[in-house]
Amino acid sequence: MLLAVLIANSEGNILVERFNGVPGEERLHWRSFLVKLGADNLKGVKNEELLVACHKSVYIVYTVLGHVSIYLVGKDEYDELALSEAIFVVTSAIKDVCGKPPTERLFLDKYGRICLCLDEIVWKGLLENTDKDRIKRLIRLKPPTDF
Amino acid sequence: MAQYVKKDDDRDEEAEYSPFAGIEKGAVLQEARVFNDPQLDPRRCSQVITKLLYLLNQGDTFTKNEATEVFFAVTKLFQSRDFGLRRMVYLIIKELSPSSDEVIIVTSSLMKDMNSKTDVYRANAIRVLCRITDGTLLTQIERYLKQAIVDKNPVVASAALVSGIHWLKSNPEIVKRWSNEVQEAVQSRSALVQFHALGLLHQIRQNDRLAVSKLVSSLTKGTVRSPLAQCLLIRYTSQVIRESSMNGQTGDRPFYDYLEGCLRHKAEMVIFEAARAITELSGVTSRELTPAITVLQLFLSSSKPVLRFAAVRTLNKVAMTHPMAVTSCNIDMESLISDQNRSIATLAITTLLKTGNEAGVDRLMKQITNFMSDIADEFKIVVVDAIRSLCLKFPLKFRTLMNFLSNILREEGGFEYKKAIVDSIVTIIRDIPDAKESGLLHLCEFIEDCEFTYLSTQILHFLGIEGPKTSDPSKFIRYIYNRVILENATVRASAVSTLAKFGAMVDSLKPRIFVLLRRCLYDNDDEVRDRATLYLNTIGGDGSVVETDKDVKEFLFGSLDLPLANLETSLKNYEPSEEPFSVKSVSREVKSQPFSEKKAAAKKPTGLGAPPAGPTSTVDTYEKLLSAIPEFSTFGQLFKSSAPVELTEAETEYAVNVVKHIFDEHVVFQYNCTNTIPEQLLEDVTIVVDASEAEEFEELATKPLKSLPYDTPGQTFVAFEKPAGVPAVGKFANVLRFNVKEDYGVEDEYQLEEFEVVPSDYMLKVGVSNFRNAWESLGPDFERVDEYGLGPRESLKEAVSAVIGLLGMQPCEGTEVVAANSRSHTCLLSGVYIGNVKVLVRLSFGVESSKEVAMKLSVRSEDEADDATAAVESEGDGRLKSQAPLAFFKLKTLLTWSCQADYGVEDEYQLEEFEVVPSDYMLKVGVSNFRNAWESLGPDFERVDEYGLGPRESLKEAVSAVIGLLGMQPCEGTEVVAANSRSHTCLLSGVYIGNVKVLVRLSFGVESSKEVAMKLSVRSEDEAGTEVVAVNSRSHTCLLSGVYIGNVKVLVRLSFGVEIFKEVAMKLSVRSEDEADTHHHYYPK
Repeated sequence: MLLAVLIANSEGNILVERFNGVPGEERLHWRSFLVKLGADNLKGVKNEELLVACHKSVYIVYTVLGHVSIYLVGKDEYDELALSEAIFVVTSAIKDVCGKPPTERLFLDKYGRICLCLDEIVWKGLLENTDKDRIKRLIRLKPPTDF
Repeated sequence: MAQYVKKDDDRDEEAEYSPFAGIEKGAVLQEARVFNDPQLDPRRCSQVITKLLYLLNQGDTFTKNEATEVFFAVTKLFQSRDFGLRRMVYLIIKELSPSSDEVIIVTSSLMKDMNSKTDVYRANAIRVLCRITDGTLLTQIERYLKQAIVDKNPVVASAALVSGIHWLKSNPEIVKRWSNEVQEAVQSRSALVQFHALGLLHQIRQNDRLAVSKLVSSLTKGTVRSPLAQCLLIRYTSQVIRESSMNGQTGDRPFYDYLEGCLRHKAEMVIFEAARAITELSGVTSRELTPAITVLQLFLSSSKPVLRFAAVRTLNKVAMTHPMAVTSCNIDMESLISDQNRSIATLAITTLLKTGNEAGVDRLMKQITNFMSDIADEFKIVVVDAIRSLCLKFPLKFRTLMNFLSNILREEGGFEYKKAIVDSIVTIIRDIPDAKESGLLHLCEFIEDCEFTYLSTQILHFLGIEGPKTSDPSKFIRYIYNRVILENATVRASAVSTLAKFGAMVDSLKPRIFVLLRRCLYDNDDEVRDRATLYLNTIGGDGSVVETDKDVKEFLFGSLDLPLANLETSLKNYEPSEEPFSVKSVSREVKSQPFSEKKAAAKKPTGLGAPPAGPTSTVDTYEKLLSAIPEFSTFGQLFKSSAPVELTEAETEYAVNVVKHIFDEHVVFQYNCTNTIPEQLLEDVTIVVDASEAEEFEELATKPLKSLPYDTPGQTFVAFEKPAGVPAVGKFANVLRFNVKEDYGVEDEYQLEEFEVVPSDYMLKVGVSNFRNAWESLGPDFERVDEYGLGPRESLKEAVSAVIGLLGMQPCEGTEVVAANSRSHTCLLSGVYIGNVKVLVRLSFGVESSKEVAMKLSVRSEDEADDATAAVESEGDGRLKSQAPLAFFKLKTLLTWSCQADYGVEDEYQLEEFEVVPSDYMLKVGVSNFRNAWESLGPDFERVDEYGLGPRESLKEAVSAVIGLLGMQPCEGTEVVAANSRSHTCLLSGVYIGNVKVLVRLSFGVESSKEVAMKLSVRSEDEAGTEVVAVNSRSHTCLLSGVYIGNVKVLVRLSFGVEIFKEVAMKLSVRSEDEADTHHHYYPK
């Protein structure tokens, strides 16, 4: 299960937060844990360079893209490698929507599109689409070209 | 350049203004009214939905009314034909997740979309329906969903399949009907559809092993397009492998080739998944492991942190079970210590600590010292734990490791971290006696500046136990008394108790301690004052050096010896009255915990939290338990308690296991019983033991269990007497007997498995810190060496661990670990045998190409008479029965081992028989002049017998056969038989066990028919010597004498005769002074 997708700005404010199968009372804990993890480790990290951590049986893969940081949390079959695959899809979709690694402003400008992309990529904790061109078409309700 | 500057300026301005700045829920809800406009503005509507999404993603929640209002408004947007807006509508409906009574508003629109010609409408409608509907609607749309699964558009198929995975949890019976369609989708050409279909198909069939196995066999042969699906397939494959080997399937591991092939896949994800699957195979051999380790090693130097992390995490796990297999990666691992990612660095360090050899410890510790300063506490704790295990593995390195621990103890750190360090030091002190003094001093230094009251009090308590036993206890007093001056009341009180312990245990310190204790009488905390007063008055208040009364010591510092929970209950139930509360009224019976509670308190206390005996804590508990039972309290010191042996299969009505407690003259079997039938209450539970196959044991006492309720384990005991100090062995059959209360007390029985008392039960696992020193100190005088062929074995490692398990001794210096692919191995074991005899064993193994394993066993023990050594030797062959040494016995050697690959299934391998023959008790010792020696022994102790040896090949052959049989030294060259001679005399001499000189004259004669006759004359120093030769002959008479109870002299004549098939007949004649004089008995044997 892909437990969480969280996107924050460089100050650690949450921009997007999508949890799956995480009880409401634990979400706050996860949010602060991830933001702290980023604050401790993401300084000076290059765009899209992946960082990885594990907490008990839960894996976390996170990275920086422009002025936003992206965190993915998974367990069981979504281990560090599956998460790195998923985060690659997320970052490339965001870059595609924004045209470049986004500033916070740009990210918020394209907020609706980004939400649609995330909806196509991760759906109720399962990885659904992984191809950025297809995602680009799907968020406009255009059929994929590659079939 | 100017342009770039301008861009930057732009960005700064941009960043200041957020499109959602000052966003308010109320205002956005107002804006949502645009959804109701008759002329919809798609762009504006999309903007409002984005704002709603932003609010929801920020964790804002809508009230029921707000959500309903927005939801109804949103449904109006289905009228718009704008694609972008429709996509947003799908998303916001999912986010709003309307309640079931509202869903009805959109279902018709969504159903319409499901049948739409536009593929993406269909896909999205399925996903929205999956999110918002419950099972009732599913039957209505099932038909469309089945079509969607096999839709040629991969987006639609994936949407239906992923929805199926979600629906499977709520409506499994419906989704299971789709397996044909899903099966078809697994063959889809679209990679993602295949991935989703495979996931769903496996979930549908996960409880059907055969179906999963078929699925795996067909797919591993075919092509799987997406790496993600390939990863799933690898996981399912390893599941099939696990299950097939659990069913006892032997031979080649199925699908290993497939896994190995995946190691060459182009996607890293697949390679890694395959490597991990291989490392997790149970009973994986080093040959299977090698290719996986190789690819993981490549990942270690990857530029991608995720791959490095994944690889080091997997290798870390492998290091726990196959440390030698990982050593090849040590160099790459060492470079990871400086990895930017601290998770990777910590994993690398802990892996190195597991795989490193003794020589590398110092270098490794240097590297870790630099590393420790820049990682978080939770990582440090992992490292500290790893260092503790390393120290126990290489006790000789305790100085380096202890120094490291004391250094990090001085540095900054939180409570959990400090506690981990202190626990580690305490464990090392307990396990390595040499480390005690320095370890205690480190702890003393630590409490001088310790901010944690809990740790200070725990350390003070520990100091009180261990400090007085050191060579110079006075040096600790300063640290302890400083606590009385400087710390808070809790720590002060603990310090007072510790001081008093020193005073009570070390007489020379007593007067000075009393001076300190008296100062505590003026403390401003009453607990501290009370304690000081108590100690001063009980331990000889005048401060003079007097022998402190044992009872006082026991009262003050001994354990309460009763369960604290019982004491607590008794105190709570005590009502103030004339009669004072008495500890004697507290029940000593240990109440067993139901399993559920036990699981809740699963975390085992370690270090300071554990009772002071540390590693022997289970023995301690057993000892207390047994001494609390009056019947067993006189048995003396408990020597050893075995690990529980299961007497029932898993998941039977009653679960019973047995713990064998060995005492010097007794053996107590503790049967732990659990009743797993909720409706039943068992009463008067006993075990009926049949010890007919355990001759030396005699049943003494039984302690039944009064009642055994459901799910609450209880114990019943049976005690046996056995000869003192003798490692008696035997087999015990058991029947569980009880009354079932529900059936009006009907008595019932339940057959349990048999178990055996084996020689290793008499061996305590006690390690030595320096094997070489210990070995040398025992000296070669008490050494015995033997060689054994263990026959073909699966691997050297398996043979080593089987022998270690058989001997029940403690492997030393990490020698239980066998290097992968090595052809020979030396294993060092130590232990204490019953009678408190220290035993050391060196095992040298060698393996041939045919997997035949040979073993050389050298034993040294403290005791010359060493039964222990003999027992160890016999154990080396398998489970041998010990016998009276002079008996003529025959042993069937049976090597019993558990084959790891078969998941611990016990297996047997028949070895050849061998015999211990009388000649083994005869030393070949020649005499210089046989005639003189013969005459000097005189005819009084002579016995003469004649034998027909039957037709023989030649006289020469007959002579040498008899000489071989007797195992004596031929004298004066009489072993040489002249060619063609018809008669010969042979003179033999030897020393029989018991240092009895024996001389033999053999006269042979041969007839024409090659029948050889032999006359045998024996003379010996001792009458008893007559036993010797008789054993080899076909008939023999043995004379015995003794004094029977009542001072009656008894003489016995035993006449034996051996018939062709080794049937032995014995005639026994007894004469005694008593009137019941003579008896004749014939015992065929």
